[in-house]
Amino acid sequence: MNAHSDVNVDENAAGILPHNSEEATAIATETTLLDPRFYTTDFDEMDRIDVSPVRKEWDEMIAKMAADPNRGHFKKNENWTTPDWENMDPKLKAELIDFLVSSLTAEFSGCVLYKEMKRRGNNPDICQLFQLMARDEARHAGFINDALREAGVAVNLGFLTKAKKYTYFRPKFIYYATYLSEKIGYARYITIYRHLEKNPDNMIHPIFQWFEQWCNDEFSHGEAFALLMKTDPKLTQSWQNKLWIRFFLVAVFSVMCIRDHLRPEFHKALGIDIDWYDREVLRKTSEISKQIFPIELDLDNPRWERNLLKLREASAAMDAAKRRGGIGGALGKVSAGARAGLAFASLYLIPVKANEVPEDGRLVPSY
Amino acid sequence: MGLFSKETETAPCEVEVSHTFDSLHAHVKFLNGAVINPGDEVLVHGKPVLAGYGEVVVEERSATITRASKVEQLWTRLTGDLECMELAEFAFSEGALS
Repeated sequence: MNAHSDVNVDENAAGILPHNSEEATAIATETTLLDPRFYTTDFDEMDRIDVSPVRKEWDEMIAKMAADPNRGHFKKNENWTTPDWENMDPKLKAELIDFLVSSLTAEFSGCVLYKEMKRRGNNPDICQLFQLMARDEARHAGFINDALREAGVAVNLGFLTKAKKYTYFRPKFIYYATYLSEKIGYARYITIYRHLEKNPDNMIHPIFQWFEQWCNDEFSHGEAFALLMKTDPKLTQSWQNKLWIRFFLVAVFSVMCIRDHLRPEFHKALGIDIDWYDREVLRKTSEISKQIFPIELDLDNPRWERNLLKLREASAAMDAAKRRGGIGGALGKVSAGARAGLAFASLYLIPVKANEVPEDGRLVPSY
Repeated sequence: MGLFSKETETAPCEVEVSHTFDSLHAHVKFLNGAVINPGDEVLVHGKPVLAGYGEVVVEERSATITRASKVEQLWTRLTGDLECMELAEFAFSEGALS
């Protein structure tokens, strides 16, 4: 899930500061304006979803989510040791804050989208599911927000009174994108957690200790979208939709790799080799997604990493061209865009592996 | 709704902003049952809704909904598909830090 975020420095930023003004000056030195996107979709189509073909699995899943196993998890305890933000290397601090803000924005946007679906829908099964998922996302956002407060970053929710345009997605695109987003989120969190378990000296922020149970929420949201897609086999089995799924796999996977490489200091401090990490996360996500997708990307094909690197270089060239501006920048953007398009097409055209989707594809977190 | 012309309407709404440890969320609900369609724009009037840490603020406000023209609605439907990558968690910020 996602949205844009803007970080700007404004000591008097609108009102999200603590009441006590002394405390306000002491703590909040920076304000992050959350600027999530607002989406709309074909709610009538979603109302027509009939979960009866998977009723038994559906009810079990809803019961598990309603029982709220993570209710007590997002509380600070004695394991929470506030990092020394003041003396942190400025580059690392910037990247760590960027990591937290992006996670917060992702959770927050998920919450907005799920709540909207809950509110606009008339299908009780679907509404109940989205209500439960919105609950989790808002809770995660609150927890990250608290971590940001400690770092002196205040979140500004003033976006509500700015004009907002609603973007439209077809329901199936929401399923593909959010399914992958939740599952890849699980794989990312658990991979970091397992790595830090073995390398406790690299624990640069206490929030990572909460990841093990936290990512179970992401995992179960992914399960929910997998079940939703099961209600209508066409969503995953028609040839057009297989091409769309392939597109989403390539896009989500490659964008993740590009983004991760933008935070070198953050990963270095965690003792994580970014290439290893990305490979690991994609392998896990790819394995999990066999529960519902009839195709699987061939990540071992040498063309995969080769073109991924080209895409990353094109993306870096694009950033540089944007910073340069002027005519040179404009030309640079065209050239970088063409290279990125070519690299993406090459990734897309790598032959995929067919996958037999199991009858009962339900999974439990096992990494 | 015209082919190119835009129409506006005013709707009462309830704004809820929670800025607590347990939940960070912000939602707008229209109280007259107004429905938002692709390409429509919503502007909630008044000062920014401010919730200090630990607060949940629920306020009634009015909002202006600018309805998209038919052409714009169609355009939003077509291009929305291309923007859906934003749903993926990683597309959050523009370019490298520094």
